[in-house]
Amino acid sequence: MHGLTILFSVLLTVGAYLLSKALYLRYRHPLLNIVLLGAGLVIATLLALRIPYQSYVPGQRIMTWLLGPATVGLAVPLYRQRSLLRRHRREIFAGVGLGALASMLTAGLIALAAGLPKDVLLSLLPKSVTIPFAVEIARIHGGSPGLASAIVVATGTLGSVFGGTLLTWAGIKAPVARGLALGTGAHGQGTAMAFMEGERQGSMAGLAMTLAGITTATFAPLVVRLLLRH
Amino acid sequence: MKQLKILGQLTLLALIYLLGNQVARLAHLPVPGNVVGIILLYLLLNLGVVRLEHVQEAADFLLRHLVFFFIPVAVDLMNWGGVFYRYGLALALAIVLSTALTFLGTGAIAQWLEKDGASCTD
Repeated sequence: MHGLTILFSVLLTVGAYLLSKALYLRYRHPLLNIVLLGAGLVIATLLALRIPYQSYVPGQRIMTWLLGPATVGLAVPLYRQRSLLRRHRREIFAGVGLGALASMLTAGLIALAAGLPKDVLLSLLPKSVTIPFAVEIARIHGGSPGLASAIVVATGTLGSVFGGTLLTWAGIKAPVARGLALGTGAHGQGTAMAFMEGERQGSMAGLAMTLAGITTATFAPLVVRLLLRH
Repeated sequence: MKQLKILGQLTLLALIYLLGNQVARLAHLPVPGNVVGIILLYLLLNLGVVRLEHVQEAADFLLRHLVFFFIPVAVDLMNWGGVFYRYGLALALAIVLSTALTFLGTGAIAQWLEKDGASCTD
């Protein structure tokens, strides 16, 4: 019974992934986001079949565990790009560091000003980093992984639709700076847009995405203490 | 044969992830285990202990399908529908303003440093 439920959860999720990916590849519209569409399909199926969320949890745990080794794999592109990393280390570390801090502090301050509940605020802090980091950062500090991932997707969608225009409007034209901004501000979705601008922008965005995740995770304890000190 | 190789590489990535988790837990680091894992693998690659051909097929495979793993995480949203209903406007405001500032901050300082560096070396 337990094994069957897990099998069902995994097959349902794989099916939802394949379907939403096919839809995205066909229409290429940024609002057809694979994560939201896929999760929407899974949720709709569970609701339609009157399966409680609790039954999905065991399968969900197994699938999410694999996110760990997958994230560790991000060291591979980082290593492949190490000469680029070395050549632009000043821009990268200053840009990504400042961006990661600005993202957490501004999001946190607005959440505080708006009186959002603590768990929502904590799920909002890692909004600019890629999901595997955001999920763990939210979990460690007492936010919700699911809410954090939805906020990450919202940020990425917004960033990939308007990021390029905003940077151009602000006179930021250098390819390295544009790539770093897109990767730091809008993680994987921004990186995809950066690759559409060019190889150089894309590589920088990929580096920035991973480094922003590491930086955000490192600074998060400090920012949380600053925002929620009693 | 190729599947076996990928499976072996996957095991190595999983071991490094588990090691990262243990290090984070034992050292009481306020940082997730996957972050420690990435840094560990990056160091091992630089030291030559682990070589690209020991991990790259599995890493590329997982990263190609990374989005798949986000779906089960996001299903948790089932429990959070009310939050968007109640705090939607504040959330949207926080996301829009904070994202715009992140883009501008990162872009501006990187462009400034790049120009500065270029004029020094030229």
